[in-house]
Amino acid sequence: MSTSAQTARWLRLAAAAMAEHRDELTALDAAIGDADHGVNMHRGFQAVVARLDETQDAGSIARGAAMALISTVGGAAGPLYGTFFMRFAASVGAKHEFTAAELAAAFRAGLDGLAQRGKAQAGEKTILDALAPACAALEADLANGEPLSDALLGAAEAARQGVLATIPLVATKGRASYLGERSRGHQDPGATSAYLIVKAAADAFAGE
Amino acid sequence: MELTVTVHDEAGLHARPAAAFVQAAAGYKAAVRISNLRTGKGPVSAKSIIAVMGLGVRQGDEVRLHAEGEDAAQALQALAGLLQGERTE
Amino acid sequence: MVGIVLVSHSAKLAAGLQDLVEQLAQGRAHVEAAGGVADGALGTDAAAIAEAIRRADQGEGVAVLMDLGSAVLSAETALDLLPADWRPRVALCDAPMVEGAVAAAVEASLGSPLAAVRRAAEEARELRKL
Repeated sequence: MSTSAQTARWLRLAAAAMAEHRDELTALDAAIGDADHGVNMHRGFQAVVARLDETQDAGSIARGAAMALISTVGGAAGPLYGTFFMRFAASVGAKHEFTAAELAAAFRAGLDGLAQRGKAQAGEKTILDALAPACAALEADLANGEPLSDALLGAAEAARQGVLATIPLVATKGRASYLGERSRGHQDPGATSAYLIVKAAADAFAGE
Repeated sequence: MELTVTVHDEAGLHARPAAAFVQAAAGYKAAVRISNLRTGKGPVSAKSIIAVMGLGVRQGDEVRLHAEGEDAAQALQALAGLLQGERTE
Repeated sequence: MVGIVLVSHSAKLAAGLQDLVEQLAQGRAHVEAAGGVADGALGTDAAAIAEAIRRADQGEGVAVLMDLGSAVLSAETALDLLPADWRPRVALCDAPMVEGAVAAAVEASLGSPLAAVRRAAEEARELRKL
């Protein structure tokens, strides 16, 4: 069973990753964006950690993260990741323990919410290009009977591949889409931060 | 009913004078239209702020006001007065 | 009267536009601003927008004007933060922010309903300046 404590750990690990990769994300965003994705995500996740209450249930923890991101990230990633965590929270509910299937369902709910909010599809060079393959891999591996920790590793790997796959894409969504063809050849910063979030989940929820 | 009037306000019929004009026009039942005789733009509804601002009326421009309906005469008089810079009571 | 909410990445821009619009509508419009994020940084904050919508509402609905890109995402997220029955009473206006806000506020000050206020704001798309 996954736990609310692991959910909190997920957010702490994600925050650490945003701190560690802040300059990298900023550099990626300087190439095809406003050069603020790293700073924004770092600030947002610092706020997530600041209001983190380990004693709460998983849904409340995730919703708290959503509200922190919504109010502090500033750029598009705020409402996008905020919506992800809001839907995740609604799906997992007021539980302190939940099954692998419930975790996957919450990821799917978050992904669908984010896609709907951003009106994005695969291949537009966005967060979705990492998050969607990760979610699909998680669901497929669990359906194949793999234990959660392996399925999450598969999800992280799928996200990583998804990030690399954004490099040759032309952005057709968001700030990068203003660059058109010039966005080709650059790794998408949003997909990169999404990979870091998935990887943090793999580390946090490992060892049920 | 029609009236031709020279616009007095130094801002012409932009921003605050336009807003005041539209708010005044909206107080009448009559349908009121306005054209900018200098540019030939209009007639447009005097009750639409965007339409009025789109006429590009400057200080000194002549505009034609056209009103139809039960209080048309009062509307024309009041709006002409406003455009000519008469003080409201 | 329909309330007006101004959403901007910049707190100063939202507040400045609020001043301008309130003046133009001769104090007869109810305008709230939601600009910037918590520590004064540039960005939009869906929670703050939801609060501004609550404050702006006088019972006849709220028209929302937004600046760029993610302001729209945040405004849409704000609708998720409000009770579901608020959704039909809040109109996100597909309009340029300054002219749209002026049009919306003047229209609202005439006592027009929400649909007319939104329409007035969106007519601003056609306005030529020069």
